[in-house]
Amino acid sequence: MVAIESAGITDVGKKRKGNEDAFYINNDQKIFVVADGMGGHQAGEVASGLVVKTIEDYMSRIRKNEDAEELAEVDLSLSKEANRLLSSIHLSNRVVYETASGRSGYKGMGSTVSAVFFSDSTMIATNVGDSPIYLIRSGEIQNLSVSHTLLAEQMALNPEASLQVGAQFGHVLTRAMGIDRTVEPYVCELQSFKDDIVVLASDGLTNKVTQEEILEMAPLHSPQKTCRLMVDLANDRGGEDNITLVVLRVKRILKKKSGIMKLISHLFR
Amino acid sequence: MPTLTLKFKKDSSKIKEYRLERGQSISIGRRESNDIVIENLAVSGHHAKIDWTGSGFLLTDLKSKNGTFVNDQLAISHWLKHGDAITIGKHIIEFAYGKDEAQPDEKEDDAMGETMVMDTGKYRSMLAKNVSNTGSQGAASNEPMGMVTFLSGSQGDVDLTKKLTKIGKNASSDIVVSGLTVGQTAATISKRPDGYYLSYVGGISKPKVNGESVKDSVPLKQFDVIEIGSAKMQLIHK
Repeated sequence: MVAIESAGITDVGKKRKGNEDAFYINNDQKIFVVADGMGGHQAGEVASGLVVKTIEDYMSRIRKNEDAEELAEVDLSLSKEANRLLSSIHLSNRVVYETASGRSGYKGMGSTVSAVFFSDSTMIATNVGDSPIYLIRSGEIQNLSVSHTLLAEQMALNPEASLQVGAQFGHVLTRAMGIDRTVEPYVCELQSFKDDIVVLASDGLTNKVTQEEILEMAPLHSPQKTCRLMVDLANDRGGEDNITLVVLRVKRILKKKSGIMKLISHLFR
Repeated sequence: MPTLTLKFKKDSSKIKEYRLERGQSISIGRRESNDIVIENLAVSGHHAKIDWTGSGFLLTDLKSKNGTFVNDQLAISHWLKHGDAITIGKHIIEFAYGKDEAQPDEKEDDAMGETMVMDTGKYRSMLAKNVSNTGSQGAASNEPMGMVTFLSGSQGDVDLTKKLTKIGKNASSDIVVSGLTVGQTAATISKRPDGYYLSYVGGISKPKVNGESVKDSVPLKQFDVIEIGSAKMQLIHK
């Protein structure tokens, strides 16, 4: 079992009228989501809202009734929990896609999604689009997400040539939720440890605040304070886009004892 | 129907001519499995490809060793226009539309250039759709692919295809290691965006990487030696 402390915040920023970001945090179910919507008028808001809501619904429905679990496609290289999280992503992609093709006002809308879900001893991070997930552990900050932008993908293919592509492609997404009938999320699963800090954010934050600054700030403050400080910082630096972040900290991990250790702890109870 | 004319150096006579149909994809490289085979060591096995995208032909360099050039400019992805000369190694492929053939609207191309700079949501999503076919394989193929090979304690190789590989005494582990002090799940190896990481999970004896005891998690490099109980194994990138 993992005990988690978390906070989330979303801010419209200083230049935009509407907020197309959405987030969801649940310490009991241990699921944390950030979505950055796109599409004209109110469609971006609708897309990110749908993504977050569908994941929330699916995950709590499955938790209540595990037998009802119907996985769209089971990837055997992943744990049961990772498959469960991915199913919620696939489902919400379909929901956005179908809503978008149903009404003309919603045509072409989409969203990014970044989600973290904890099993008993691991965390699973998954993402589509360019909303980053950072892990802060033993004084280092690492990326748990892959940026699905034209620039990042060209960089991976050919680092030298990508310099030629230019920064204007930095925001051209190659994958997004609701654009196609199916989506291929990036996923990774790793052991979780006490005092791990995970930060999920929209690019409205990460365009303004560097990884190093996040690494400096997050371990010093509570998740709530960190959220506030970082939003203020991003707004101070212009706040051109909506700013959203979720910060969580692993407070403790209770290991299930097994084998000889279980016997010993029984004897000395 | 556009044609691709393969030449060795710019002004020499043509080696071969290929017809390019709308809706068709063409691969270029040294290997025989390509549609256009260029037998030259300066050319990568799978060097580049040309795809029909619905509005034009898109040339994409497939992370080739020596690069792909269009009109002497290094190109990663490029919308082909009439008269473009693609340089691969010392070979030139000329792209030309047929006489009287409808060509993608130049104006549309300009609009395309503009929208890439514009960061409005609508265009962003439109572009996502446009490039998803060409870009999606990039990040996926770049993922690390490794295996561990036993040095002692057992024999053989284990491919690290899973996102999370479990190592321990428990029979359900992906890599089973015996020993009194080894945990049911002693350690896990997870595949992360920047490579493999080994984490300690449980058991009295902690895993070691290159002789150093691991108390939470460490990144794994090529040829790192992992010790768990009496087993010794080495990480090798493919």
